[in-house]
Amino acid sequence: MSSVYSQSLSKKVPLLPSKTLLINRDIQSENRAAAQRLRLAFTQTGTFVVNLVSSPGAGKTSLLEATCRWWKNKWKTAVLVGDLATERDADRLRPFVPVQQLTTGGGCHLELPLVEKGLAKLPNERFDFLFIENVGNLVCPASHDLSEHLRVVLLSTTEGDDKPGKYPKMFRTSDVMIVTKMDLAPHVPFNVEQATLDTRRIRESIDVIEVSSLHDQGISHWCRMLEQRRNTMLSERAIP
Amino acid sequence: MHEISLVRSLVRQVDQIATDHDANADAVQDITIEIGPLSGVEPELVRMAYDQLCNQERRPPATLTIELSSLQVSCLDCESDTELQDFTFRCGQCHSGRVRVISGDEFRLLSITFEEGATLA
Repeated sequence: MSSVYSQSLSKKVPLLPSKTLLINRDIQSENRAAAQRLRLAFTQTGTFVVNLVSSPGAGKTSLLEATCRWWKNKWKTAVLVGDLATERDADRLRPFVPVQQLTTGGGCHLELPLVEKGLAKLPNERFDFLFIENVGNLVCPASHDLSEHLRVVLLSTTEGDDKPGKYPKMFRTSDVMIVTKMDLAPHVPFNVEQATLDTRRIRESIDVIEVSSLHDQGISHWCRMLEQRRNTMLSERAIP
Repeated sequence: MHEISLVRSLVRQVDQIATDHDANADAVQDITIEIGPLSGVEPELVRMAYDQLCNQERRPPATLTIELSSLQVSCLDCESDTELQDFTFRCGQCHSGRVRVISGDEFRLLSITFEEGATLA
């Protein structure tokens, strides 16, 4: 016999002779709730938050550089960059937009408290878009809600088209897949159709966009998609 | 390996629940958790991280029981449930890809067992 422990921490539950408390609680429930609160706050201020995830070297920073180049000053944009140790990615983006480096000190993924610290160091302005460049890793970042409206996974043509099947959680939890380094596709054994097919077996509704950040290929499509998604967020916000 | 931070959060919650019941953390005999194949959490790494944390914090080691859940989806089109054998998210009946995960993404604290004689509020 056991008693059920509710989500409320303050409620004391009498214990039955077995001395086993049934709890049945999501271990990350506090983090999820905090992320949801922050997401709602961003929605209210009209800031569309994008969490960029991929393996190391898939081109997250290059995609952001191309995005900033394309938009110029069209939207107020800020970037939080997660990295294990250096500030190199942040340095690449500073010429374009306000950037705050989040150094995890060896940690393999970003968590919400670190994102909140980074936010506090950004200029105190309202942004239209906030990009969070996660640590390069297709495993751990999948389990951490950073309050984003959109999770975007990058898959580069140089890393092989078998990634979706190997890292199902990451592709299942992403809304958009960007196939990067398309300029190299003719030179490598990467099959875009196969990768798309594999990803859609995991997440049927995922959007797929092919880009080459170095040559601004597909960047207009990507930027338009972001603007549309932000508009959808704004219009849904208007509904009471 | 994010299991270290997840296990730290788990142990903090167990301690809090023990405190809420006026029990000493030492009285915790077993912690039972559930891990699903789509949780992004590796059971073996959780075990390693837990042992390491108990060592570091010189905690009396309560046993950690890990229950593994299966991956199940519910179809948004025909409403039937399917247990998946791999990560192909399709309905077993109508093969629609419009499915919702109903089991398999859990990382949950199921129960805590206190030792005999522990007094709890």
